[in-house]
Amino acid sequence: MSGPREPITPIVLRSISQRFGRKVVLRSVDLELRPRTITGLVGANGAGKTTLFLILAGLLQPDGGERQFGGRVVGDIDLELRARLAYVAHAPQLYPGLGARANLELFAELRHAAGLSSRPADAVLRDLGLPADALDRPVSTFSRGMAQRVALARAVAGDPELLLLDEPFTALDARGRSQLAGALLAERDRGTAILLSSHDQGTLLRVCDRLVLLEAGVIVREVERGGDDPAAFAARASEVLAAVGPDDHAAA
Amino acid sequence: MLHLAPVRLLRQSLLLLRSELRQELRDLELVLTSTFFTLVVLGMFYLSFAALEKKHTLPAVPGLLWLTVAFVGTITLTRAFDREREADTLRALLAAPVERLAIYVAKAGSTLLVLLVCCALLVPGLASMFPAGQVFWDMPLETVALVVLGCLGYVAIGTLFAAGLAGGGGKNMLLAVILYPVTTPVLMFALVTTRALLDKNPNLPSYLGQMAALDVILLGLGALLFEPVLVGAAPARTAQAARQHARQSLRAAGREEPR
Repeated sequence: MSGPREPITPIVLRSISQRFGRKVVLRSVDLELRPRTITGLVGANGAGKTTLFLILAGLLQPDGGERQFGGRVVGDIDLELRARLAYVAHAPQLYPGLGARANLELFAELRHAAGLSSRPADAVLRDLGLPADALDRPVSTFSRGMAQRVALARAVAGDPELLLLDEPFTALDARGRSQLAGALLAERDRGTAILLSSHDQGTLLRVCDRLVLLEAGVIVREVERGGDDPAAFAARASEVLAAVGPDDHAAA
Repeated sequence: MLHLAPVRLLRQSLLLLRSELRQELRDLELVLTSTFFTLVVLGMFYLSFAALEKKHTLPAVPGLLWLTVAFVGTITLTRAFDREREADTLRALLAAPVERLAIYVAKAGSTLLVLLVCCALLVPGLASMFPAGQVFWDMPLETVALVVLGCLGYVAIGTLFAAGLAGGGGKNMLLAVILYPVTTPVLMFALVTTRALLDKNPNLPSYLGQMAALDVILLGLGALLFEPVLVGAAPARTAQAARQHARQSLRAAGREEPR
């Protein structure tokens, strides 16, 4: 990178392919993630969504294709790039013996040690609706929904330019989903490019600016919110979501 | 503005080591298991060999010392990445702006400290039980150097393999199987140097120097290979995580897993 303030967006994936043994997981995937945009990645289980997230987060080197960050082709996702993206996996990936605040502070201190800034842990956790009396309780005592909020708080504390969220709504109740959706919209408005995978179709329809359908490792359809006609987007997006299957939270 | 890589490495290593130690102090899982094992082994050695004459215990003491270190090291290293593995926090660290080498330094550092705590019981124990071990009291600086260098070499190579196997299933058993062959050179070096110490060999500084040189090589190897080993383990972990993820999602949706 020639300068730390050059944007890393848009992020462009070209002809990305990945296989595990004989199983082909991604086949020539092209995808663009733009700033100030929430892109919903939908697909059935096993479609290759998590693999795509790992490739974007630098946790997996693709077998083929290229990744571009801010117009620059990137081989390895180095520390400088990792400083500007954040990944929230399906599992919260928190130290169970530490409290919510301690978990965030550890990663904040690691950022500070690298010369990077981070928002105060208490403020971020409060913004995501974590009760004040839960800040110092071990994360192992948290419900899945609370742990997921802490994981998201850790991700947004570093003000990432790219936010990768692999099923962040799992195990959240309706209020939690609503709070999280609000937080995502706030992040988007800050200018962040967000890639979001979820089986919660209602929230996807509410927050996403684009929907991308991944089937058996291939992107088969994309729909985009035009701005002029929300109803038309909702209708086209519903078609995409119908192709995935029933909504996990439809009965909630 | 990012700090220079050596500054980042040093500061992040210290932070991760502090975090490791704090979590260990909270439950004392590794320290208690390792020290208890050390005490049991010492007791068994005493019951088995205490009646032997000094000339017979002299060749045995180095073996007793480093055999115990090898076993305690295996116990410690097989659990070194347990916290990360159970909660998948290793992947959070790998995705964060953290020098991967800092993870190695912190893991090796915490494992080394556990081994040194055990040696702090083991060496005085052997010195008290066996007349041949009296030299440990007579030459304390050399003894400390020997123990630190031996344990450092062991964790330098052991941490690398523990990281490589941090992902797959059945890894603990596999690690135990792999650890003994790869740590044998360090243990052999340590064994020979301990014998030189007990014999009050005038070439002891040379032996210690060779151990230090081996440690430098092993640390260099660990530093060089840790990131490829750690990130290279990711695809196996990814496939495993993806399968687990799909099962959990199906269960959450109340659907059957396809066979």
